[in-house]
Amino acid sequence: MMKCENFEFEYVAAPDEIAGDACEHLNTCSTCQSFVAKEKLFQEKLTAVINCDVPEGFRHSVRSHVVNSNTSFWSMPRASMALAASMLLAVGLVTLNSSFFNSQGIPLDKLVLEHLEYDGASSVLASTELETQELQTIAQRFGVRVKQSSHVMFAEKCPIGDSYGLHMVYQYQGKPITVIYMPEISSEEAVMVNYAGVKGWVKPLKKGSMAVLTSTANELPSVEQADQSIEWL
Amino acid sequence: MQEKQKQLEYERLVLVYSDELFRYALWRCRDKSKAEDLVQETCMRAWKSLDKLRDVSSSKAWLMTILRNEHARLYARYRPEMVDMELDTVSLKDVNNDTTPEAFALKQALAELAEEYREPLLLQVIGGLSCEEIASVCNISKSATMTRLFRAKQKLRDVLRPEEGQVNA
Repeated sequence: MMKCENFEFEYVAAPDEIAGDACEHLNTCSTCQSFVAKEKLFQEKLTAVINCDVPEGFRHSVRSHVVNSNTSFWSMPRASMALAASMLLAVGLVTLNSSFFNSQGIPLDKLVLEHLEYDGASSVLASTELETQELQTIAQRFGVRVKQSSHVMFAEKCPIGDSYGLHMVYQYQGKPITVIYMPEISSEEAVMVNYAGVKGWVKPLKKGSMAVLTSTANELPSVEQADQSIEWL
Repeated sequence: MQEKQKQLEYERLVLVYSDELFRYALWRCRDKSKAEDLVQETCMRAWKSLDKLRDVSSSKAWLMTILRNEHARLYARYRPEMVDMELDTVSLKDVNNDTTPEAFALKQALAELAEEYREPLLLQVIGGLSCEEIASVCNISKSATMTRLFRAKQKLRDVLRPEEGQVNA
């Protein structure tokens, strides 16, 4: 039977790795249960002090540093992006349908939501509109033109599944709308997304697919409006 | 590793771990600009040696090790000067932090901790590394890691509630 002092040592040293005898001891010892409650408060304070905020746009600057240092690195398939983008303009209204899958067998809406779990929150919190020069850089990199009326707050190239996607956030009626363009992930049908506070749709394009998403509390633009907000070259 | 696969893997690493790398770097450098430079150099080195990363599940520990080595390589000669600086006025400037007296006391105590105690603690709290991973990064045994973590937290706990800070070990 484990002693309290041994449990306390193990718990303080590695609170997330308690297992086996320590777990059994905790279940039966009220003294250690009380100790754990106090220790959790301490751990929370410690975590809050150590985990400072990260400067806005830091991730982007890290990526830019590597891009600028490796001219051969990060060569976007601009031709295919441009082709897919031009095809996007020709896409008409979408028939919204039941769930669909990409070539990897993973539901496309799940891929998109998984990506949002990584940087969805930080992307919609971006409070500064990207400057014209930044937008031009994006245009060069991704083969996209952002129209004047679209207030783009965030734009990054991101891994989605086994390929890249263009993740953008722009303001529509004062609320953030997320657009994720996935040129290499194709599908047969469109799908509605309504999950974990996120609503919108993912629709197929002639080459690739595109997701338009926002919080369930916000208004979504129409499919036509979403298409017109960003012009694909 | 194929070029595209390599790029994707690198992208994921940056996407998932850049924030944690920055926090770790900031505590090591105690200067925001230096921390940013350090993470950039770390990512650059990670990109160059990505082929050596065999086990994706150990990516975080791998990156932390690179950052630690890069810090030693880039800033080791400046360390004496940085140790003498006031943490609260210099180290976390331009970064939003908890400014309560309690947080200040904790920060101060953390800054005064010996490196051998602070290091495992930062890796655990910022990186979420297990004791085994911390042991691997710091090149010490798992039991030594646990002892250092325990002592580090014991010292810091004493700052907040000195009358209750005595835990047997």
